Amino acid sequence: MTTMNQTVDRTNETADGEYAAEHTPRLSWAELAPDVYRAMIRLDAAARQGLDARLLELVRIRASQINRCAFCLDLHTKDALAAGESVERIVQLSAWQESRHFYTERELAALELTEAVTVLTDGFVPDEVYERAARHFEEAELTRLIAAITVINAWNRFGVATRRVPGHYQPGSHA
Amino acid sequence: MSARTTHLDDEVRAAMQALSAAAKRGLGDPRLAELVQVRASQINRCAFCLDLHLELARRYGVPERQLDLLAAWEEAGPDVFDERERAALALAEAVTVLAGGTSRTKSGGGFVPDEVYEEAARHFDEAQLAHLVGVVTAINSWNRLMVSRRIPPGSTEW
Repeated sequence: MTTMNQTVDRTNETADGEYAAEHTPRLSWAELAPDVYRAMIRLDAAARQGLDARLLELVRIRASQINRCAFCLDLHTKDALAAGESVERIVQLSAWQESRHFYTERELAALELTEAVTVLTDGFVPDEVYERAARHFEEAELTRLIAAITVINAWNRFGVATRRVPGHYQPGSHA
Repeated sequence: MSARTTHLDDEVRAAMQALSAAAKRGLGDPRLAELVQVRASQINRCAFCLDLHLELARRYGVPERQLDLLAAWEEAGPDVFDERERAALALAEAVTVLAGGTSRTKSGGGFVPDEVYEEAARHFDEAQLAHLVGVVTAINSWNRLMVSRRIPPGSTEW
């Protein structure tokens, strides 16, 4: 069964045939663990204090690409666009090393830090990555950026583990 | 090693503590919570977190033999880790290693496979599962906060 998307013009047929059926989420984790969900909302609000909305969305999209959270990509690309982000900068994000001129040095330092903090399994957070970020973000800002990267990683884990369904997010409806 | 910040916003720390506490309370199994927290901290190589959670695991009475063999739990066999523990550890590993598609991901993980999820769902009810995912997610978050700032094991400043 195909559920029609309300926010994107997506018919369920293309020249190559019908789209695959939409899956259902595994678990309504927020309802099952409301105290955990409330703590996540509180953590999210604390971590993004004072960080620029467009920078924050770039970081969230890149982490969600790496962790392959479909629901989070749906949400954060729509919020990025709603915050005035360009399609080009979103499209180029997964190849930012090769499209550096789309981004500021500050954004590049944040993206590099995002990758290192997201992928701990292959090499900690290298000094050069940390130091580059520390040149562009003063201490309190840097720790909030680290917290923001940590928090999107946490949402990614809930999203992927419970297989939340992308495609239905309305921009701006996330708290 | 060059110096890194030990700063963390009080509200971020408090919210993180609320997250961990809520997840552990809902799971209702402190020993199992410590097992998965030690395992995630091994995978993410968080020295501070390993130090802390190994101590807590011992305090809660997790057997030394389990802690010794935790990094190789799959090979250790069912007489060391029972089916429920194995299901929880498999889920913890899958939820911890999501990353793929960067120069840093030599051995990519990827999603949470159906067989891993379904095996966990055989041993835990839905509310326990949601909280177990919460425990794994919370320790992953602590791992990131501690590794990025390179907080030394045993430090009281974090």
